[in-house]
Amino acid sequence: MNLRIIFFSFYFFCLQSANTQPIDYSADRDSALKTCDEHFYSGQRQEANDCYLSLLSSSTDALIRAESAWRVGDLQAANAYFRTGVEINPESPRVRTRWARLFLMTHQNSDAIQLFEEALELNAEYLPAKLGLAAVAAGRFEDRAKALVQGVLEADELQLEAHLLNAQMSLEEGALEAADESLNEALMIAEQKGLPPLEVYALKASVDLLNDIVESEWTDLSLNFNPHYGDIYAIPAHFYVITRRYREATELLFKAVSIQPDLWSAHAELGINLLRTNRVNEAQHHLSLAYDGDPYSAQIVNTLRLIDSFENFQVLERELPEIEADVADADKAKRPGMILRLHKDEAPILEEYVASLVAESIDVFSKRYQFELQEPVVAELYPDHDDFAVRTSGLPGIGLLGVAFGYLVAMDSPSGRGEGEFHWGTTLWHEIAHVFTLESTNHLVPRWFSEGVSVFEEWMTGPRPGRHIPLHVLDAMKEDKFLPILDLDSGFIRPTYQGQIMVSYMQAGLICQYIESRWGQAGLIELLRLYRNGAVTAEAIEDGLGVDSNEFDEGFDAFIDSEFQSVLAILDDWKEHTERAHVAANEGNWESVLDSSAASIDMYPDYVEEGDIYILHAKAHEELGQIDAAIATLEQYWRLGGYEPGVLHQLADWLYESDRSGDAIEVLSDVIFVAPLDESLHRKLGDWFLESENGELALREYLAFLATSPHDEASAHYRLARAYKQLEDQEKTREHLLYALETAPHYREAQQLLLEILR
Amino acid sequence: MRRVGIKTLLGAPMRAALICFVFSVIGVVTNAHAELHYLIVAGLGGEQRYQERFEAQAESMAQAALRSNGDDSNISLLIGHKASRESLIAELQRISEVITAKDQLAVFFIGHGTHDGEQYKFNLPGPDIDGETLASLLENIPATQQVVVNTTSASGAVLESWASEGRTLITATKSPGERNATRFGAYWAAALSSDEADINKNGAVTVREAFDFAATKVAESYESEGLLATEHPAIVGENSFALNLALLQERVLMTAELEILMDELDELERDVETLRQNRGGMDNDVYLDALQSLLLELALVQREIDDVRGIE
Repeated sequence: MNLRIIFFSFYFFCLQSANTQPIDYSADRDSALKTCDEHFYSGQRQEANDCYLSLLSSSTDALIRAESAWRVGDLQAANAYFRTGVEINPESPRVRTRWARLFLMTHQNSDAIQLFEEALELNAEYLPAKLGLAAVAAGRFEDRAKALVQGVLEADELQLEAHLLNAQMSLEEGALEAADESLNEALMIAEQKGLPPLEVYALKASVDLLNDIVESEWTDLSLNFNPHYGDIYAIPAHFYVITRRYREATELLFKAVSIQPDLWSAHAELGINLLRTNRVNEAQHHLSLAYDGDPYSAQIVNTLRLIDSFENFQVLERELPEIEADVADADKAKRPGMILRLHKDEAPILEEYVASLVAESIDVFSKRYQFELQEPVVAELYPDHDDFAVRTSGLPGIGLLGVAFGYLVAMDSPSGRGEGEFHWGTTLWHEIAHVFTLESTNHLVPRWFSEGVSVFEEWMTGPRPGRHIPLHVLDAMKEDKFLPILDLDSGFIRPTYQGQIMVSYMQAGLICQYIESRWGQAGLIELLRLYRNGAVTAEAIEDGLGVDSNEFDEGFDAFIDSEFQSVLAILDDWKEHTERAHVAANEGNWESVLDSSAASIDMYPDYVEEGDIYILHAKAHEELGQIDAAIATLEQYWRLGGYEPGVLHQLADWLYESDRSGDAIEVLSDVIFVAPLDESLHRKLGDWFLESENGELALREYLAFLATSPHDEASAHYRLARAYKQLEDQEKTREHLLYALETAPHYREAQQLLLEILR
Repeated sequence: MRRVGIKTLLGAPMRAALICFVFSVIGVVTNAHAELHYLIVAGLGGEQRYQERFEAQAESMAQAALRSNGDDSNISLLIGHKASRESLIAELQRISEVITAKDQLAVFFIGHGTHDGEQYKFNLPGPDIDGETLASLLENIPATQQVVVNTTSASGAVLESWASEGRTLITATKSPGERNATRFGAYWAAALSSDEADINKNGAVTVREAFDFAATKVAESYESEGLLATEHPAIVGENSFALNLALLQERVLMTAELEILMDELDELERDVETLRQNRGGMDNDVYLDALQSLLLELALVQREIDDVRGIE
């Protein structure tokens, strides 16, 4: 085989510690390294270092030199020796595979994959390379990792790393028994082959941890073997993180870095976790340490940059209204409030709306789930989606718009996406629901149930009315792709087809709706209680709802049939009519648009998602001069939860022109949840509130209008003056009139009002 | 050529006997002897939707010009097939003959522009016209205060070659590489008739006000759609920033009484400006009190002027 030698760019610009190097379990590791490795694995760091340095100067084998240089932390030299090794021995899959592992350790996954694949081109059955690819896939929560590992075990069931990967993936899915079985195999192989058992111990301790055994015997065994093996805490911490038990993970990570201060990955994870609980300064400290030791991690760099960017944010603390004395005792009357982290350019516009929605959601969920929050809710809104993405990197199955880490919620701000692209009010509502499900169960709630409650609450109590299910989810429903309840978490964590995460969200929401319809809200509350007490889903369903998981799945299937059978039956016809309406619209044939869109709406009146069928129907009416019918169509669209901001502006204008200013205000107020940064929204809404003698809300809108830095600032001040006048605040009226006239001395209306109030 | 094509749009020209006008809001008066000439050209749309759009923009600008000048004698509107290369050259040559150094010139080019890496061209029915030819024709016009607005795609290509002493040059794009159809023209047309553009509320939209309005609206329109802006308006040459491009209401006749009141108003306005400039370090309450005193006086004079003019 004639393989080209690739010279990778390897940017090692300083000497690095390599103590986070994973254990090399491959059978063909050179025996010359064995003595040094034994010192290394048992925590005899100085002896190990001396040993590797000795090999480095005495060995003539490039691979041994590379491994030794790597272990003493000289990654640049290791890279150079690996390259030499490939030049000397281009047919060796071993050298390329180990080189790939070096890249993997420094987060250069694509280069690592390329080398693993080259190794497999040299020897298609070279198992360490297959395991390397499996490790990359598992780290990305890709489903193909399982098949790769399975392939390795079929070829050689004594591959220790394959069992470890299996255990890791099983643990990530909550399959603790399967994980334990894999680890027993791994332990036996380690003993047989005399391989270091440290990673097996760490995963064994993880199994114990997830079984609520905090003091694990495996931890003691590990510390006896190597008192400085930080991963005995850091690896279990990973499973706390992916099950969203961030506080517990933080405690373990503190232990990890205390026994192994140069475990940079643990410092990084600790920093990221501290940030998830709003401990910003400590987070920055540990991330900085991690960066000093591992400058190759994009996650570390991006998180540090995110923290730096916090100087552009305002931190706003708000109280919640006190509970009335007759419904709570005095101690409970004062509730924890909220902390908003908003970009300083947007805070003056968004603060009131965000604070109001957070307060409302807390009120609603406190009652519906009978749980009082113990800490303030922290809500972060990022104008730059990349900043939000930093918050979620490395976590499986996390929503694209928002995330809740417990009391801390992070999400895109309305400007993080194109205007009207997402309903930020619904996203915030969804995330605050997570705060309740996470905190009321001490983070023991499984992902599917937490997501399910959040989706269910979007539909039942959120700012956007109606149950909204995307078309591809209906297709999945039709194709019977919903998972049994006991497997639903895997649909979030390790999806097997495009769009499965969204399908899983919707299924979870529908399951909660099913529970509520059959067992009432009490059913949902009872499940939360059982989860808090440590129940797994099978137990919670059986104990809380009195049915086993099979019966539950059958009941849910029947519920789906009753709710969607009629829709699924006409889905193809609906698509055809909708398509026909769009084609007719492109041709300007509005009569035909009217007919086809009417047929679509008749078939599936609740649908206001992609396809814009109501909008098209209204447009056809408008084109045909039937404005009243267009208004009626758009009103229906809006009442069903349609929220396209341009359309709602049009509807509001039409309603206003039809002397229905109250309805116009109601419609336009909903645009705040979609496109709140639009100055014309606040100006218009303020004007309408003022006309309807609602000075308080007019003032709120005009303050938002001014905060948008409108081009015509004088008119914003003039409007504020009018609102203050309506509220009989003479001094503020005067002040804003003077600001208006300061910019525009000839502003007649402002002059007249000034003369009037000073008369 | 349709030199005064606006007549067909708006009916007969306004009375020609008016000698001197005052803006609807007193206090902003152009040089009594200077005349503002407008040349508005809508180029080739290529597609019907663009053709309609460009012509509508040109007509809107022409309406604003008519409102401001009082009659259409100094307004040239080249539109549709009349906007040919030949007609445009002829009209620019004609203007160069009738305009004087003390007069003012406003030229608006609307449509598509192209740049092939070397040369800018303004797309017209028939042969296009290149940037160098236009630069040369504009250079021959003696008016010492000029505003040239090129709203076309790739218009940034002329930023250097059309710059000239006494001329404020505005382009829809900052470089020739911004080649997509622009939105700037629509917002420029809107600016000339917009209260919102009139930041100081004096009833007249200056070059600077119009540019700020249009540039802001362009940026907002892309931002609100979540799109990367494919145009970045540019402005060079400060000489004509303060030129009043358009009045927001019809002109009215100036009288001696009005002239006195306007002088008073001017003085008060200067006092307000002086106070603003001296604000640094001043206690806010003290500042607002002083400001109030001046603004009240100004409002009263304004009211007197309105009474004289019979404005409600």
